[in-house]
Amino acid sequence: MNSFRRIDYSLRPAKHAERRMLCDIFRRLRPFGRIEDYSYVGFGSVWFSDFSLFHRALGVKKMLSIEQAETARARIEENKPFNIPVDYRHSKDVLPNIDWEQRMFIWLDYDDPLSMDVLADLRTIARRAKSGTAVAISVQCSQAQEIASASQDTTPNAPSAVDRFKTNFGPTRITKLTEGQLYGWNYGQLSATLIKQEIETEIASRNSGNTSPEILFHKICDIQYEDGAKMTTVVGVFYAPSESGNLEQCNFSTLEFMPPQDAPIRIKVPKLTIREFRRLESQLPLNEGMQLNLGTIPIAEARQFEKMYRYLPNFALIES
Amino acid sequence: MSTTTTNNEINAEPTKSFFVDMLVRDIPLEQAILDLVDNSVDGAKSLVNPDGLPFDGREIKIDFSKEKFKIWDNCGGFDSKVAAEYAFRFGRPNNTPRTPHSIGQFGVGMKRALFKFGSHFIVRSSTKDDSWQIDIDVPTWESEAGWTFPWGEFNSSEEISTKNPGTEIIVDKLRAEVAWKFSTIAFQNAMIGLIKSKHRQFIADGLSIQVNGNHIDASSLLLLTANNSNFRPGFDEFTIEEEGKAEVRVKIIVGIGFSSPREAGWYVVCNGRVILDADRRSATGWGLVEESTDGVAIPSFHNQFARFRGIVMFDSDDSSRVPWNTTKTDIDQDGPVWQRTFSRMTEMMRPVINFLNELDRDIDEHTREHSPLLRFVNTASTVKHDVLPRQNTNFAAPERAAIAAENRVKTVKVQYSRPVEDVNFLMKELNLGTAKAVGEKTFDLIMQQMDE
Repeated sequence: MNSFRRIDYSLRPAKHAERRMLCDIFRRLRPFGRIEDYSYVGFGSVWFSDFSLFHRALGVKKMLSIEQAETARARIEENKPFNIPVDYRHSKDVLPNIDWEQRMFIWLDYDDPLSMDVLADLRTIARRAKSGTAVAISVQCSQAQEIASASQDTTPNAPSAVDRFKTNFGPTRITKLTEGQLYGWNYGQLSATLIKQEIETEIASRNSGNTSPEILFHKICDIQYEDGAKMTTVVGVFYAPSESGNLEQCNFSTLEFMPPQDAPIRIKVPKLTIREFRRLESQLPLNEGMQLNLGTIPIAEARQFEKMYRYLPNFALIES
Repeated sequence: MSTTTTNNEINAEPTKSFFVDMLVRDIPLEQAILDLVDNSVDGAKSLVNPDGLPFDGREIKIDFSKEKFKIWDNCGGFDSKVAAEYAFRFGRPNNTPRTPHSIGQFGVGMKRALFKFGSHFIVRSSTKDDSWQIDIDVPTWESEAGWTFPWGEFNSSEEISTKNPGTEIIVDKLRAEVAWKFSTIAFQNAMIGLIKSKHRQFIADGLSIQVNGNHIDASSLLLLTANNSNFRPGFDEFTIEEEGKAEVRVKIIVGIGFSSPREAGWYVVCNGRVILDADRRSATGWGLVEESTDGVAIPSFHNQFARFRGIVMFDSDDSSRVPWNTTKTDIDQDGPVWQRTFSRMTEMMRPVINFLNELDRDIDEHTREHSPLLRFVNTASTVKHDVLPRQNTNFAAPERAAIAAENRVKTVKVQYSRPVEDVNFLMKELNLGTAKAVGEKTFDLIMQQMDE
């Protein structure tokens, strides 16, 4: 492949776009309460890019970063951009003890594929979240871990990847499964389905016994992107039936990146030169009835850019 | 004297709502649905197909959601006489006609399920020459005197009619906790899993069951065997007779399968209905202590027995003779049928356990990669438990020594200690990861050198 058709993934442009989309989604939660009164819980790592953005753009002041890498403590404390408390324990130990009486944005951006630990975190959230709390869960979905463990096990008749996956997640989560569902975007879709199922199940038991439900879950969107590894994110909001009017007023479907029906949002970073970027940007947003003047820019890349440009990073070229 | 007495009698009649409340308490939701499936299976049993699979063409469809529960079958239905005299009685009257081999024997399943799910139900059924329907609003029924249900008008439809005999049950105005459970995929999957295992044999015999549109496939237990007779499951078939009672036919199969801790254990089947699945409790013999010697006759379950499979099947025309409890969730350990079978089960289990212990020793000595006995087991073929020849035979497996001799290479384990510093030095020089690997590699190297 020609090198100019590749992207420097170290810049993580798709993740950047996702972060800004989440910011726009969170901003829409206004009908539930003042955005600046929400608190933000995330995995800040050493970068804290999400924290910086939500603090600057949304005015969120109450923040908590969960970081299990106790060994990186000094480095993390050194890199914190704002006065952000960091809890150096595993998310499963931290989540049950945060103040669930507040409305929150929670973004659990895991590096790894879906696991039972991730599902346990989701149950913790679904069991407690207050109406108006929004959650985003990102997991890696290049391939299921069970593919590797099955191929490494050379004993004859060793369980297949499908068997292992079924065993790990249990029969109430998985009934039918093919190996093809454990790779790539199919696997992303499976992960997203399992995430939603887990939340629905926990909510069902939370509501059990009440004639009118205490809380419901509304999926806002799925986001898929790839900066090297494939990732999938499920975004949704908890709401009490008495606040379904507030949910409607959020008008998530009018966000311009929201695809029709229930399709996932696929973030594709257009492969353009800096000069091409500038050329397109100078024409956007398009005046009604106008068409983009493309020059030599491939049409597919231009269309992609038109959909995404507000969310993409501003590249500065550093010549090597 | 109390004022509640009249004619010197005390009123002890239960209120309907108390009765309903008690009735639905002692059964989990999943079990209540299985009870309804059992009733449909009983219908199918009376319509057995003379050619092909016994239940070919028989169907059960179950649909549930937050709003409604529905089960439909084309398994023959039951007529208004049975409905009026037996089916809606709480408890089964002694003179109830019995379906031979029935599994819905206790006469509470349907009522219990109806009341457990919700407060409004419709039951309609059609046989070849009779149709009926009831439509009951439970709160209204509870407030009225008397223990009867009024007939409703039968709405003939394509799904149920004298041309297409069967039964349909619809429950709505669901209880809140039931509605929430019915709304989840987890519950749907749990039901699919339960029906797949509990009604395994009926599905294999051609019965089609769907849960929310998902068709449930048949599954069998796989047992390992070799073409020659030195490796095969144990099989025994016998009859238990007691004077004045229907006989019980018993079939026991023991053997080994793929290593799977979740599937290992005993499977107990009564009149085709699976009662216990992969049971590893003392009830089926695990951890059995020999009374005379205080020695252990059968060890408690441990992962080295993850290959153990035992299947015991009871069959009787009189369903009260097979050893299950009233909720069909466990065995009735005290009855003579179970007691007599149990001692034979432990006898047949013993050689399998011995073999698995031998296999464990062989792996210990030679490692998983090089164990000749494990290699032998892993290259065996499989046979489904339900197609084994009906021939009484003991479990057979090769002797460990014989397999080792066949493999010619006899090995011995070498163990020694050396200074850590030296071992680490060699590990680095030879680019190896463990002390064990250093031991093996240095041995191989000197072997090569001396051999030349």
